[in-house]
Amino acid sequence: MHPGDRVRVTRDDVTNEGVLMPSSDSDNLVIKLDGGYNIGIDRAEATVDVLETNVYDVGDDDTDDTDDSGDVSEITFEDDLPTISLISTGGTIASTVDYRTGAVTAQFDAEDVLRAVPELAGRANYRGRVVANILSENMDPSIWSDLATAVYEEIDAGADGVVVMHGTDTMQYSAAALSFMLETPVPIVFTGSQRSADRPSSDNVMNAICAVEAAKADCAEVLVCMHGSESDDSCALHRGTRVRKNHTSRRDAFETIGNQPLGTIAYEAATDDGADGSVATAAIEFVREYTERGERSLSIADDLEPAVELVKFTPGMDPRAWDYLDGMAGVVIEGTGLGHVHTDLIPRIESLVDDGTVVVMTSQCLAGRVCDRVYDTGRDLLDAGVVEAGDTLPGTAKVKLMWALANLAGEQTAVRDAMRSDLAGELTEESQPWR
Amino acid sequence: MSTSEHDYESLGLVAGLEIHQQLDTETKLFCDSPTTLREPDEAERTLRRFLHPTKSELGELDEAALEESRVDREFEYLAYDTTCLVEEDDEPPTEVDGEALAVAMQIASLLDMRVVDQVHVMRKLVIDGSNTSGFQRTMLLGQEGEIETSDGPVSIVDLMLEEESAQRVEEREDGVLYSLDRLGIPLVEIGTGPDIRSPQQAKEAAQRIGMLLRSTGKVKRGLGTIRQDVNVSIAEGARVEIKGVQDLATIDELVEYEVGRQAELVEIAEELRDRDASVGETTDVTALFEETDSGVIGGALSSGGRVTAVPLYGFDGLVGRELQPDRRLGTELSDHAKRHGAGGIFHTDELPAYGVTDEEVVALRDAVDAGENDAVAIVAADPETAKLAIDAVAGRAETAIEGVPEETRGANEDGTTRYLRPLPGAARMYPETDVPPVEPDPSEVETPELLTEKVDRYEAELGLDAGLAEQVAYGRRMPLFEEAIAAGIDPTLAATTLESTLTELRRDDVPVGNLSDEQLLSVLFLVDGGDLAREGLTEVLSELAENPSLSAEEAIEAAGLGGVDENEVRDVIAGVVERNADQVAEEGMAAFSGLMGECMAELRGKADGETVSSILREEIGKRS
Repeated sequence: MHPGDRVRVTRDDVTNEGVLMPSSDSDNLVIKLDGGYNIGIDRAEATVDVLETNVYDVGDDDTDDTDDSGDVSEITFEDDLPTISLISTGGTIASTVDYRTGAVTAQFDAEDVLRAVPELAGRANYRGRVVANILSENMDPSIWSDLATAVYEEIDAGADGVVVMHGTDTMQYSAAALSFMLETPVPIVFTGSQRSADRPSSDNVMNAICAVEAAKADCAEVLVCMHGSESDDSCALHRGTRVRKNHTSRRDAFETIGNQPLGTIAYEAATDDGADGSVATAAIEFVREYTERGERSLSIADDLEPAVELVKFTPGMDPRAWDYLDGMAGVVIEGTGLGHVHTDLIPRIESLVDDGTVVVMTSQCLAGRVCDRVYDTGRDLLDAGVVEAGDTLPGTAKVKLMWALANLAGEQTAVRDAMRSDLAGELTEESQPWR
Repeated sequence: MSTSEHDYESLGLVAGLEIHQQLDTETKLFCDSPTTLREPDEAERTLRRFLHPTKSELGELDEAALEESRVDREFEYLAYDTTCLVEEDDEPPTEVDGEALAVAMQIASLLDMRVVDQVHVMRKLVIDGSNTSGFQRTMLLGQEGEIETSDGPVSIVDLMLEEESAQRVEEREDGVLYSLDRLGIPLVEIGTGPDIRSPQQAKEAAQRIGMLLRSTGKVKRGLGTIRQDVNVSIAEGARVEIKGVQDLATIDELVEYEVGRQAELVEIAEELRDRDASVGETTDVTALFEETDSGVIGGALSSGGRVTAVPLYGFDGLVGRELQPDRRLGTELSDHAKRHGAGGIFHTDELPAYGVTDEEVVALRDAVDAGENDAVAIVAADPETAKLAIDAVAGRAETAIEGVPEETRGANEDGTTRYLRPLPGAARMYPETDVPPVEPDPSEVETPELLTEKVDRYEAELGLDAGLAEQVAYGRRMPLFEEAIAAGIDPTLAATTLESTLTELRRDDVPVGNLSDEQLLSVLFLVDGGDLAREGLTEVLSELAENPSLSAEEAIEAAGLGGVDENEVRDVIAGVVERNADQVAEEGMAAFSGLMGECMAELRGKADGETVSSILREEIGKRS
C-alpha cells in the first residue's frame, strides 16, 4: 500500500474507496474520495484492500525538481518587443494545482510563469532564470551576491529590465542589497505575492504584470512592486532601500517609510497599454525624481562583510545579550527615539569601537532621523564613537554596512562617512514633510 | 397536461435532496467575526478584486464553471465593522470553529451518521466571485446516515460543514457587487441517497431533516437560511438538479411538476421521432421584418438588431405543448435564448400574435422552407446575441428529439422550474493547507432532544397545553425558553410570554425584533420574582422594544411601574375601600369583585392580582 494507490478502506460498517494520499500523521490513513474530499481514517481500526496500484503520482509536493538553477529559458513573441528577465529566488508567484491529488507545485522557468500568468504573454520577450529555490526567511547574504551577479549578467546580455520574483518576508533586504551592489541602466523590479499563488484570488497576477510593466518603464532603480491597497487597482513602486513589509498578511503590506511610494502603476490601464509591448507611460506615475533609464552604466560590486549584526535595544535587556558582538566588523543598533540605549550600555559600545568595530545608530521609530546631540545619552554615545545613520532604515543600514565594509577601501573613515551619507536613496539629506 | 395522476412507480421516479442550512453560531467558521447579517448601506468600505483561475486550471474547468467565469469580471465587496481581514482574503483563516463543529456533530448524530476519524478542510474552486479567495472551504464530516419516512428509510450519504458564500447584492455589466457579512457563516450540507420514490416522500424527508436541524436550537431561521436542492429523474428521463427551493411546503408540488415535465418531454421526443423530425440551419431573416408592426421585433431592429430563425421540421404543434402549468416546450427554448442574452423567442405555434402578421408568418415559413408540419422559432436582438441565442435554441430543439436533457434548473415560486445551466462537473478540490485537520470526538457531543420529543415533554412534564407546547418547541425562541425554565422560571409564564405575548405585540406593530434574549430573560425573572406584576409585562416589553438600549429595570421605571412596595399597594387599596365605604358597609365581601377592578385600574400593573386580591379582602374584612 503506497500513496497513489486506489484503495478500499473498511472501518466498522463504513466502506470508502479512493486514492491513498501521503498521510499527514502515522495514526490516520488519508483517502481522497471520488467526490474530491479528503478524509482521515484511523489506521488501527481500518481494513485496507489495494484495488489498483499507482493510479496517481502523488509524490511529496516539495520535491525539488529545479536543480537546473543557472539555466536560462527564453520565450520570444516578436523580435521588436523589449526583453525582460524573470529571475526567481523561490517565492511561489507561479504555481499549479493538481486537483486529483491536491499537490501544489511551485513553477519557475519562463514558460511556467507564463502558464501561471497568461496575461504576461505578448507584452515582452522573456528570459527565465532560477537563482535559488528557498523560502525567503532562509535567504542568506551569499545568495544576494549570486542574485546580483545573475541580474548583472542578464542586463549585460541585453535585458531591457529585470523582474526578481522573491518571497515577501525578506524582500526588502534583498532589494536593499542589490541597490548597493549594482549600478544599473535599466529597472530592477522585485515582486512577490502575499496571498499564495494556488488561489484564484492571489495577488501574484497583478503584481507580476505591474512589475513587468515597471521593468519596461523609465525608472532605472531597484524597486519593489506590490499592491498599493487591498483592492486590485494599483501597485505601489517603492525604492528598494526605503521599503518595509509592515503587515503580516495584507496584500498592501509593503510601505515606503516616511513618505509616499516613489510611484504607482494603475493595473487595468497598464495591462491594456502594455499589452502590445509598448511602455505603459500613462499608467505609471512617479511623484519624486528618479534615476532614468540609461543614465548610469552597468557595474557590480557584490562583496559583503558577513560579520555585521543588527541589534535592537529594549528596556530590561540583559547587557550580556551583547557579549557576542565582540570581534564583529560592524554593529547596527536599533535604538529608541532619536537613537538611544540604556546609559549602562555606553561603555560597552565604547569598547567595541575601541576594538575596531564600526557601530552605527538607527532608530526603532523607523520614520525620522537619528540625532544624538539633543540629550546627554546621545552626546555620550557620540563620544563613545557611534556613527549616526540619519534616517536610514535599520535593516537597510545592516545591508549597507556589510557592503560598505567589504567595498570601501581600507580606511574606517570611509565606511563611517558612507554610513552618514546617501548612496542609493536610503538616506535623505533633509527631512521634508510628506509630498 | 396532467400533474397529479402520475404512477410514480411505473414512471421510475428517483429523487434525492441536498439541504443547506446556516448554523446560528457566535462566530464564523474560520474567523471570529459574528454571524450577523447587515444592510448594504451599513458598509464601512469596499474593495475591488479580480479572480484568476490559471490556464492550466481552466483547461480542467467544466462547462458550468466556464459559463460563470469571464476573466475580466470585476468583483466589488462591501465590508462592515462586523467583518475582518479573513473575509477579505487578506489574512489566513483560523482553525475550524469549535461551536460549529459541535453543532455539525449533533446533526450527524441526529441523522444517525458516522463521524469521520479525521476531518480535512478542502478548497472547492468557485470562481464566480462569491468567495473572495476563489474557493469555498468545505469538509466532509459525516457518512452513512439514515432517516425514517412513512414510505421507508432514506439514506443520508454525507454531511459537509462549509463556509456560506458572500451575498450577491447587485449584478453589473462587468461584474458583481457582493456583501461580506454572509461569507463564512457556518453551513451544513446534507445529501440524501437517491432513495425517494414519490413527491410526498420528498416533502416528508425534507421536513424530517428540517425538524432534526432545528432540534439543535443552533440553526439560523428566516428567509434564505435554509436552501433545498432537489434531484429528480424518471426512468426514461434524465437527472435534473433543481436549485434554490426556499419553501418546504412546495417540494411535493415541485417534484410532481418535474415528473410531469419529464414525462411530457419523453412523449414529445417519441412523437418527434415518429415524425422523423429534425432541426434545420439557423438563418438571418431580418429582411422579412423590415416593415413589421411587432413592437418587440421593431424595437430590436431600430437599434441595429437582427432577426434570426431556425426551422424545426416536424415540430408543428409540439412547441406550444404544455409541460408544466403555463410552461411549454417553447418556454424551454426561450430559457436557452435568455441565457445568451436575448429577451426570448417567438415560435410559429403561437403566431400570428404580438404584432406579427399572418403574411409575415407565411413569408417566414417560406424563407426557411418550413411546411405545415414544421415550426419556426425566431429571435430578435443585437446581431451577436441574435446569433448566439438562435444557436442555443437550435441546440435545445435537437435535444428535444432525443428526450430529456440533464441540467440544472431553478425553482420558480409556483413550483415550476426554469433552465439555469448545464449540470456541474466534478468539483475541483485541493487541500486547505492553512487549516490543520481536526480529529472530532463524537462522544463529547450530546444528541439533542428532538422537537417532537420536546413537544411531548413540554406537555407531560411542564404542563403546557398541546398547542402552546408545539408553538414553543418549533418557535424561534425555543433555546431561550429552555434557558428560562432551566433558570427556574415558571414554564407557562415563559411559554405564554415568548409566544403569545410577543405575537400579540408584533401584531400591534411593536418592534419585538429589537428585544434581546437577555432583555426577555431579565423581564421574565422580574415577573417570576414578584418585582413586576404579570399585568405590567406587556407594557414593559413594548417599552423595551421601542427603546432597546434600556435595561429591563429601566423600562419598568419608564413605564411608570416601578418602586411599589406592599405598603403603597395597601395605601391605594385602602383608598379605594375608603371611597366606597358605603358600598362595603352595605355589601360586605360581595363588593369584592367590583372593587378589585377599580384597584387594578388604579395600580396599573404595579402589583399582581393575587397580592391585590388578598389585601383587598383584608381591607374589606376590616370594615365588615
